[in-house]
Amino acid sequence: MSLSDFLPSLRRQRLLPRTSRLHPLRRVRRAFDRMRAALPEHVLLPLAFILVIAGIVHLASVLAMPVLAQKSAYQRLLDMAQPNHMTLLPDATPADMTLPMTDPAFVSAVCLYDLRERPLRVRVPATADYTSVSFYTARGLAFYALNDQAAGRVIELDLLSPSQRAALPEDEEITAADRLVVESPADRGIVLIRAYARYPDLRESIRRQLEAASCTSSN
Amino acid sequence: MRPLPLAVTLAVAVTLGLGLTYVSVTQSRGMDAVRSGAWTGWPRSGTTQADPYARAAFARSGELPLELADGLLFLAAQDSAGAPLDGRCDIRIAGTLPQAQVWTVTLMDEEGHLIPNDAHRYGFTSNEVVYRPDGAIDLVLSPRAQAGNWLPTGARGRVKVALRLYDAPFSFSSATGESSTLPQVTTEHCP
Repeated sequence: MSLSDFLPSLRRQRLLPRTSRLHPLRRVRRAFDRMRAALPEHVLLPLAFILVIAGIVHLASVLAMPVLAQKSAYQRLLDMAQPNHMTLLPDATPADMTLPMTDPAFVSAVCLYDLRERPLRVRVPATADYTSVSFYTARGLAFYALNDQAAGRVIELDLLSPSQRAALPEDEEITAADRLVVESPADRGIVLIRAYARYPDLRESIRRQLEAASCTSSN
Repeated sequence: MRPLPLAVTLAVAVTLGLGLTYVSVTQSRGMDAVRSGAWTGWPRSGTTQADPYARAAFARSGELPLELADGLLFLAAQDSAGAPLDGRCDIRIAGTLPQAQVWTVTLMDEEGHLIPNDAHRYGFTSNEVVYRPDGAIDLVLSPRAQAGNWLPTGARGRVKVALRLYDAPFSFSSATGESSTLPQVTTEHCP
């Protein structure tokens, strides 16, 4: 038996150590060297350039989307609602939904607000069933919600911009009276009022109850 | 680099970046997805902590996400075994639901439109549904009329189901761990 036959048989029996394994870092470097050989510099450099620029474009466009979107909820509602005024939305049907992904079991009303001149006063009498009031900035960010379980029979609150809130005297009667003060992070946005109709034939009466809801500029 | 290759490289980079944005904004509803069986929820999308992808997706679609203090939305586009929901099949949604003041189940087509039908039935509410004696729900989605809690699918190809829990004393941590809290979605019979 020659030595060259003998050595592998010894290795198989684990009598001799196997050829030492490459250090992991060295293996990475070797793989990188192989890639460099396959992809010369004039390909690798533009490729890296493309990836970096694509990443920047992607992040910038995602961040800009809420400002640039043409069919955001606020833009859609501007077509049918006046600022600082309550507007009942039509029921969601297969053919038409004012806002996508609306729950068809609810009757909804919206109020587009503009706080630049005066704060907004929202008053929503509770309907026969679950009722909630949610607040969104014009860019669609949800920042507050309240339901009749938490608020009691009538949901009543004042929506203020940060500067109006700061101008409020510390011990104003507003806080003493059972009135809630909510601070909006933006000057413009949407108040969404949703009332649950447990059966479809109750929708009409819920809708009439929701007509009593109001949002007005306060002084 | 010479001008022409530079222009080509830039064009490729911008196309790739915008393409990536388009895909992420149309396919995703945010990065904080919480999965529970067939259902996926995005609890942070209805809060001020919504991530940039959620904000971008909602700005593009025009949807106002449910405020977390109001309710929580779960979507199922696949059954519990991972197969896409097919409106031509009989699909059963059965199991118990977490505690909530009100819940609704809504059936939609792939694009999120309600599916037209003569009964104007687009979903069930917690008050309409007939419960099993143990308090569990048992809904059937099918193109053919069925006994019990039936939702007509109009034989659409792909459908998806929204489950909304309102005024639910819900914490995110419990949603990730217990997959048993949301009902099972099973495809039962395909023609």
